[in-house]
Amino acid sequence: MNKKREKEEYLEILWRMKSEEKDSMDVLNNAMGENFDSDIIDELLSENLVELTENNSKIILTREGEDYARRIIRSHRIAERLIYDVLGGEFESGACEFEHTVTPELVDSICILLGHPRECPHGMPIPEGECCMRSAKTAQNSVIPLTELEVGQSARIAYVSCKNDLQLHKLDGLQIRPGVFVKLHQVYPSYVIECEVANIALDKEIVSNIYVWKALQDFKPIKKDALETPIENGRGWGRCFRFMRKRRGG
Amino acid sequence: MRTGEKECKKRINSINQKPVKKVIIVGLPNTGKSQVFNNLTGEYTIVANYPLTTLEIKRTHCRLGNQTCEVIDTPGLHCLYIHSEEELIVRDLIFSEKPDVIIQCIDANQLKQSLILTADLLELGIPMVISLNAIDETTRRGILIDSSELSRLFGVPVVELMAVHRRGIDELEYAISRARNGKWGVRYGDIIEKWISDIESKLPEDINYKRKVSVLMLLHDPFLADNLKKVYGEEKIKQLTEKVNRIRLEFRGNLARVINNKRNKWVDDVTEKVIRKQKIAHGEFSEVFARLCRHPLFGIPILAFFILATYLLVVHVAGFLEGQLRVVVADPIISYISNLIVSTFWNDFLVGHYGILTMGLFNALFTVLTILSVFFLMFGFLEDIGYITNLCVLTKRIFEKIGLTGKAIMPLVLGFGCKTMATLATRGLKSHKEKFIAVYLIAFAIPCSAQLAISMGILGRIGFAAFMIAYGALVLVEIGAGFILNKFIKEQERSYFIQELPTIRLPSAKSILIKTYYRLYWFLKEALPVFIIASAALFLFDKTGILNLTKKLLSPVVVGWLNLPIDIVDALILCLARHEAAAALLINMVDAGALNYVQCIVAVVITTMFVPCFANIVAMCKEMGAKTGLAMAVTINLSSFVLAGILSWILIFTIGRWVL
Repeated sequence: MNKKREKEEYLEILWRMKSEEKDSMDVLNNAMGENFDSDIIDELLSENLVELTENNSKIILTREGEDYARRIIRSHRIAERLIYDVLGGEFESGACEFEHTVTPELVDSICILLGHPRECPHGMPIPEGECCMRSAKTAQNSVIPLTELEVGQSARIAYVSCKNDLQLHKLDGLQIRPGVFVKLHQVYPSYVIECEVANIALDKEIVSNIYVWKALQDFKPIKKDALETPIENGRGWGRCFRFMRKRRGG
Repeated sequence: MRTGEKECKKRINSINQKPVKKVIIVGLPNTGKSQVFNNLTGEYTIVANYPLTTLEIKRTHCRLGNQTCEVIDTPGLHCLYIHSEEELIVRDLIFSEKPDVIIQCIDANQLKQSLILTADLLELGIPMVISLNAIDETTRRGILIDSSELSRLFGVPVVELMAVHRRGIDELEYAISRARNGKWGVRYGDIIEKWISDIESKLPEDINYKRKVSVLMLLHDPFLADNLKKVYGEEKIKQLTEKVNRIRLEFRGNLARVINNKRNKWVDDVTEKVIRKQKIAHGEFSEVFARLCRHPLFGIPILAFFILATYLLVVHVAGFLEGQLRVVVADPIISYISNLIVSTFWNDFLVGHYGILTMGLFNALFTVLTILSVFFLMFGFLEDIGYITNLCVLTKRIFEKIGLTGKAIMPLVLGFGCKTMATLATRGLKSHKEKFIAVYLIAFAIPCSAQLAISMGILGRIGFAAFMIAYGALVLVEIGAGFILNKFIKEQERSYFIQELPTIRLPSAKSILIKTYYRLYWFLKEALPVFIIASAALFLFDKTGILNLTKKLLSPVVVGWLNLPIDIVDALILCLARHEAAAALLINMVDAGALNYVQCIVAVVITTMFVPCFANIVAMCKEMGAKTGLAMAVTINLSSFVLAGILSWILIFTIGRWVL
């Protein structure tokens, strides 16, 4: 697997260029800066992942290339969500490594675990995976949107996905943030939740962006041993990490 | 200028030499800032158990200890990163006025939420006092807060307070003299700290609170840069914002989250040290009650119960009082005067049909005042238990249908209190569409508390069913108007709805009495002269024949279209001056049998919709611009005639058969 990483970096950039409706070789060249390597382009060409047009001045992804790039972007952004929201902390470097080493299945597992997030912490859309499309029927998540709690249930917030900083500050001011317990009091005519003794009425839109840990008694994501213990139905972290070990050939 | 202020002024003049200490009261919404303000200064501003009670900054001078202070009351503030315009006023005030002392009001029930603001205030480095309000409630819930530990951690005085019962105010007064800069040890990490000092060094020389301003710049506060531009010029600030933008790009992550996380960590550490929770505690009745009030099934009967109770109180208690007053006080005076004065002109002027005593003074004192005092007692009770905000939850779906999704709901609910205040409360709305609809609907068919009280008084004379019909019609009109506006005004942005609901608490009878007293006092002060002048004007119009001419001109509309007796024109004219005056006249007409069942309903509906009161029009112009505001007022008046006419015809053809 020589130069796999570099190739994937190129595909990633081409994906971003495509979403900005750019296809010129110069843009790619600029984006890569001094790391630009025409060998990689050749290799991508030979694997039929990209196409060159107009006298080699334009470069676009082929169908296969697009699928490939989509997977990488998805892994990258899912990883950001995981590292950033759940584990907390600097996520960029971690996510960059992550995207080249995981399989789509693992990404899907994490995606299920996180309740199918739609945006990365930068606010960029996360491409949907297969798991997202069938989620409604099958997934038994550990992290679910607050809207899926029963009235009267409490849960601890895993992460809050905000539309913008303004909303983040607003929710933060009300102490609606990761780690805090909330209780769902009412769904109709308006959502009412209890958070740190205060009762707050809010839109469904916001409530559905608050994600909570479902099984809160025996589930502690920070401690190693908790991670090793398989959780009921073989879902969640246990499965996720077993999966990782298997892939590594352990 | 109320008496308290005069007294204060007097006291100030005697010790004018000492510099004035500026004390600013801030805190989250509904944490008792105004209550503390009232208690400290001896003045009175309306306090209630819901957010948005205070919308304007209020300041006064008074003497605390042996120091002259300027005490400033402010609207609610969540943190120094600003969410809305009304919060911006408070931050600008803090930044521009450089207060000597900040009193942060904290509702002990919401200590954690308040600490976010505390963190911000400590970072400013202004001497501070923390007033920990409603401490009795937390204790009852089995939550113990160690206020001395809190004081030790922050390095500022923390005073326990039960503001509603005036307990702890002396201690607070003393603490103001001991206010100190607090301890704030939180650092955001090396990289961010370096950037902060970078920005700090680039800020204009004379700016206050450099560190906090830098942090806010870094967080990309939506209002700050614009504000700085206004003061320091476009050029200078442009460089700065460019630098900040570069930094924000360089930081590959979400700065807001990183900074908030640090702050939250600090909040967690603090609360862990100062809060002790009992493992088991009493289930609170108030909690159960609050839940029932918002419940889609139980909430509506509870609302109906409150309306019915108010209705019965107004109709029977106020009616009885009014009758007694008329018999015992008014009638003897009238007959005494009629006997005393022989001249017909003066007799008419004083006690005739448009007499300044009969129509002016007595209507105000006996008819309106009795109704309002009973109503305000009940309304004050509902306000203070914290019921009003729960209506937001109940009515949310209806408002959604008419284009009001988020923040507009609370102002509309507030409209049932005072339409002027509610109009001012729309200031926080960013979406033009929502603001337009909200301001329009508040002015249109929502009755303010005084109107509601008096309509109850009028319709109570002919039966509860009439009350239901009239208000049912108003609700329909309101929803219809909202629906139409929603269809015609196009807009993209949708605000989101986050509303804290106040703790339900048993109010103190004393504070309700005081509130009612002030409301009535303000009513008399403002309205009594208007009542008298308006009736004098009517008397003049009558004597000069202008009134008859007007009646003739309006006759096709009033008699032909609205099916009302022509004398209702008197009421419409009074309506221009003051709604209550018109209503009192209507009551007289009902008593005299001049209005039938349908006419009564139509009259109430039209006076509710017709001409929002003068203060409301001013507020509309202030919020929407003079042109739009006036245009709205005109549209509302025209449509009120049209709609009242339609209602009248519908009623005649439907229930007219049975009741006429």
